Amino acid sequence: MVAARYFDGMSSTAHVVTLTLDGEWLQLRGELLAHEWPLQNVKVSERLGDTQRRITLPDGGHCEVSDHAALDALLKQGGYRSGWLDGMQHSMRWALISAVLIVLVFAAAYRYLLPWGAEVVAQTIPPAMLQKMGASSLQTLDRLMLEPSKLPLQRQQALRDAYAKLAPLPDAQLPYHIEFRSAPQIGANAFALPDGNIVMLDELVALTGDDNEILAVLAHERGHVEQRHALRMVLQSSAVGLAMTWYMGDVSSLLATVPAMMVQASYSRDMEREADDYAARTLVRNGLSPCLLPDVLRKLEVAHAKRQAEAVSDKQGSVMDYLASHPPTQERSAQLCPAH
Amino acid sequence: MQARQEHSFEFTGKGWEYFRIWIVNLLLSILTLGIYSAWAKVRRLQYFYRNTHLAGSSFEYHGTPIAILKGRIIAFVLMAAYTIAGQMNPLLAILIFVLLAAVMPWLIVRSLRFKLYNSSYRGLRFGFAGSDGAAYAVFLLFPILTVLTLYLLAPFTHFKIKQYQHNNSRFGDTFFRFDATAGNFYGIYLKALGLLVLAGVLFGITAAMHMPWLGLLLPLLYLYIVGFMAVRLPNLIWDKTGLGEHDLYSRMEVGKYLWIAFTNLLGIVFTLGLFIPFAQIRMARYKFSCMGLLAQGDLSEFVAGQVQADSATGEETAEMFDLDISL
Repeated sequence: MVAARYFDGMSSTAHVVTLTLDGEWLQLRGELLAHEWPLQNVKVSERLGDTQRRITLPDGGHCEVSDHAALDALLKQGGYRSGWLDGMQHSMRWALISAVLIVLVFAAAYRYLLPWGAEVVAQTIPPAMLQKMGASSLQTLDRLMLEPSKLPLQRQQALRDAYAKLAPLPDAQLPYHIEFRSAPQIGANAFALPDGNIVMLDELVALTGDDNEILAVLAHERGHVEQRHALRMVLQSSAVGLAMTWYMGDVSSLLATVPAMMVQASYSRDMEREADDYAARTLVRNGLSPCLLPDVLRKLEVAHAKRQAEAVSDKQGSVMDYLASHPPTQERSAQLCPAH
Repeated sequence: MQARQEHSFEFTGKGWEYFRIWIVNLLLSILTLGIYSAWAKVRRLQYFYRNTHLAGSSFEYHGTPIAILKGRIIAFVLMAAYTIAGQMNPLLAILIFVLLAAVMPWLIVRSLRFKLYNSSYRGLRFGFAGSDGAAYAVFLLFPILTVLTLYLLAPFTHFKIKQYQHNNSRFGDTFFRFDATAGNFYGIYLKALGLLVLAGVLFGITAAMHMPWLGLLLPLLYLYIVGFMAVRLPNLIWDKTGLGEHDLYSRMEVGKYLWIAFTNLLGIVFTLGLFIPFAQIRMARYKFSCMGLLAQGDLSEFVAGQVQADSATGEETAEMFDLDISL
């Protein structure tokens, strides 16, 4: 016998009733009330914690039951089977299993699905849009941290021509353009933008011993362009940002951007290796030593270590240093020219 | 006239209990690429409704996952169309934006109908009878005017939205009523603005007096303003809402609300989100403990509305959409 409260669905009056099972019939008895229905025509709501369960009746009314043990006994007697999720939702073990599985799914999606998805999407983005993205990011950089190059125009053109003379890899297909800028705040560096713009900084040109080293760096950046790394990074970090916003809900969209930045930093490690590989193949194809790139990398490392030491002593570490994302130089050197 | 009886809402949800339901449903939602989230949403609402008690009875949610899934697919398609069009052609994007703005009030009415029709208490369903015409004034015309008047009309628009929502809601065949005035809304908005001006003055003083550490107080003041709005507006709205001859009230306090919101935020951040179900339960418990009903006579005397009897068509259209637009 199960104690319940019956509502007829037509008024808000509650009737105190009892429910019993007679064979396959559910019987409802109360003051001035007597109903019975086949148990299979009655809908019992799923168990949700300790909340009262609801029995929806064929006459448009319903019963509310708080005595879980008694109702479970009655349902069991009637051969009623609860859903497969019912047990899972109420066990601590399944909660733990779920937590572990969620972490695994996120980790797998992050490691495999995200790079793959970004690559697929990157192929579909029209060149006109890339052009727009690249132009606006170069404008922003120009405004915030880049200065016009101090290299003579002839020298700039000579470097462009020297790079253009190199035979490209057979699979090269995306347009590129080399820009020269100066940025004392950043130090020696070069980077590739989504539209194929390669920005070479005066500080890096000054650091290199001969022009072949500059060509090696340009080939490395060309590798970033060919593999659409800049675009893929933008896509990946925005996908992570979106997922975090969805998961964290209304906590704060600001919090969601932090992991996105971390992804950017760690992702580019794989991309650097791909670009290194591209540069090495270009150099070998043109009869140049694949060790040119490691030579520059070592010089870069020394220069940046010096800058960092100065920055620390001046107490003005910059964000760029903090987000350093390149794989260790030694590891890269070993990959590029094992004999070195 | 009978003495009024005060019934407080009571929320009995428990953190660990809800955590177990939440995490299993989250896993299924992720594994099904979000499709199962419609089922998860129904469970969440059922858990929260059933744990909300008033005068010895609890609420019930009746929405079906399939209806919610349909609404979500429609919302997803609309948003995807807008995003993709924006990348192809800005003109097309503007066109779709105008189109979206034009259907939005209609969609909001459907989602309000769905939400209320699928809520019940003591076996009686709630309902929404707002007209589409009024919805276009409230959700399209006034917001446009608000922007054109540099937000001077914002409190008025907020007032109109709540008035439309509450005056058109019913329980059984008894309608809710909304007795607030636009002046009430302006009062709260102006106080918040005053606090904001105060923050600006304080900032000026700290800058002038070379006491940058005093600037640390600014985020606190800003936080207080956010809490002030989040507490005083719902308090006003529910205080001025009645059902038939009964009155509702809400008595949240800014300090307590902010403490719960802040500790919830810390908990969520430091557990990478695992605290979310606990946070939701804590907040619901506080909000409902501050709310109640001042009853005039017996609460058993509501009867089902006309729509209840022949609800089939209404239900069908209502179940088309659930966009979960919170207002």
